[in-house]
Amino acid sequence: MPTLHELQRDVARAVIAGDDTAAAMHVVADGLAPAARLAVYRNTVVASLTTALRLSYPAVYRLVGAAFFESAAQLFLAARPPRGACLDDYDPGFAEFLADFAPAATIPYLAGVARLDWAVNRALHAPDADGLDPGRLAAAIAAANEPRLRFVPHPSVGLVHAEHPVDAIWRAVLAQDDAAMAAIELDAGPMFLLVRRTADGPAIARLAPAAWRFAASLCAGRTLEEAVATAGPVDAAALLAGHLIDGVFTDFAVDEGGSRQPMETFP
Amino acid sequence: MSIATAAATARGPIPARAGIGLRFPHHRAVAETRPEIAWLEVHTENYLGGGATPAWLDAIRRDYPISCHGVGLSLGTAERVDRHHLGRIGRAIERFAPALISEHLSWSVAGGHYLADLLPLPLTEEALAIVCRNVNETQEFLRRRILVENPSSYLRYWHSVIPEWEFLAAVAARTGCGILCDVNNIYVSAQNHGWDASAYLAALPPAAIGEIHLAGHATRRLDDGTILRIDDHGSRVAPTVWALYAEALDRFGPVPTLIEWDTDIPPLATLLDEARSAQARLDRCNGKAGHADAA
Repeated sequence: MPTLHELQRDVARAVIAGDDTAAAMHVVADGLAPAARLAVYRNTVVASLTTALRLSYPAVYRLVGAAFFESAAQLFLAARPPRGACLDDYDPGFAEFLADFAPAATIPYLAGVARLDWAVNRALHAPDADGLDPGRLAAAIAAANEPRLRFVPHPSVGLVHAEHPVDAIWRAVLAQDDAAMAAIELDAGPMFLLVRRTADGPAIARLAPAAWRFAASLCAGRTLEEAVATAGPVDAAALLAGHLIDGVFTDFAVDEGGSRQPMETFP
Repeated sequence: MSIATAAATARGPIPARAGIGLRFPHHRAVAETRPEIAWLEVHTENYLGGGATPAWLDAIRRDYPISCHGVGLSLGTAERVDRHHLGRIGRAIERFAPALISEHLSWSVAGGHYLADLLPLPLTEEALAIVCRNVNETQEFLRRRILVENPSSYLRYWHSVIPEWEFLAAVAARTGCGILCDVNNIYVSAQNHGWDASAYLAALPPAAIGEIHLAGHATRRLDDGTILRIDDHGSRVAPTVWALYAEALDRFGPVPTLIEWDTDIPPLATLLDEARSAQARLDRCNGKAGHADAA
């Protein structure tokens, strides 16, 4: 008699990987083969997870069509089933999977569109958080000696870099606008995008490469000085002010003085 | 604010009347037209993030008592309940202050993977002890009593030794949890496994019944001619299930009753119509009992 743990391991293998050899041994036939009984559950699991991926990657779904999407999703979910029960979070790894998925190689921009789909999905569902209060920031800077500032990005903020104009592709394919799709110049050069949630829904903004590097450095938790050094020549004050107005950051921390001291946070 | 005090701010208890499952396509219609319905139930896992979706529920719960029905806690998992997920559920409960919280007698998590379905448990003493441990941990963490729902199922295990109705009653007796009696699930499982649906109802402790679910199911003929009832929540409640619901009300008295519909979701008016059918039966039950419901 299997323990509950053993049984659940065997049934999980049947419904996720489609290997029902071990699970079928535990199941009463009773007029219907154990494999057919297990298949009812497998079909539900595969359909639920495929739907979750379709909702997270709507532009990819439109680009490749239902049949291609479902076969790719089935391979992906068998290799990487969700780690948690909130399917809004399933799964950032699908974009990486598509980047290495040989049958998708004929669509060179697919992985880039997938990363944008994921960033938009994250912007839709990320936790709520208040934007940083600029007055509090100004007071902290005034009170500190040679402050080194770090920022905490809003959970909805995502930075996407792609080799193709994936924002234009994303919009055209979701609007099912064939004329817009045909007008896209695929060799328009790399795109640097900042995605965030606004009161009206997700917003996708194109940034200049240096401005994108600046935002990406800050969002990665680097100091303002480090972000300026990474970005190259940028008007850091103007960019930072714009980000504060847009609510890109929710909090900040100050390292004081030249030496690296433990970060002091201002709750 | 603790979870316990948040609960006290809820829009009132769930009355022993008919409610409907609130799904995304009806957020706007419910918020803007405020249909006449006694209460609403949501799938907790759909409201764990931020942004527009939970904001709809923030607005709607000002007008209706809310029940949070979980689908992802995996009370039957051999591993312990996922603390991270439980924490997210706890924060949602703090935010929405539901009057009822429920989950399922099933499992969905194995090896840290979420299997996105309500899988059947082997009905053994080992599984009973594990479910009770997980229900206790959940109730302690949330500091709330939960309801546990009987599943629909399409298979049984060789080593199951406890009838499902006894298993569910034992979970309620040992943990103090309530029972969410899904009448459609009883019908579906009874048909699939050759059980006596009336005997199932009769074996449940009336005092533990906190809610009833009703939904439509499908009849699928498999390649070999076998008929399997599938609990797809994709149609109106079947006449046979309405009849079983009448038996349940005779036995349990008036209980908050929910219409669930998750596949091919119809217009809101259809759900309200189904809820009126349930309400008519609740009203008859109240007439028999000779008293008005507590609401």
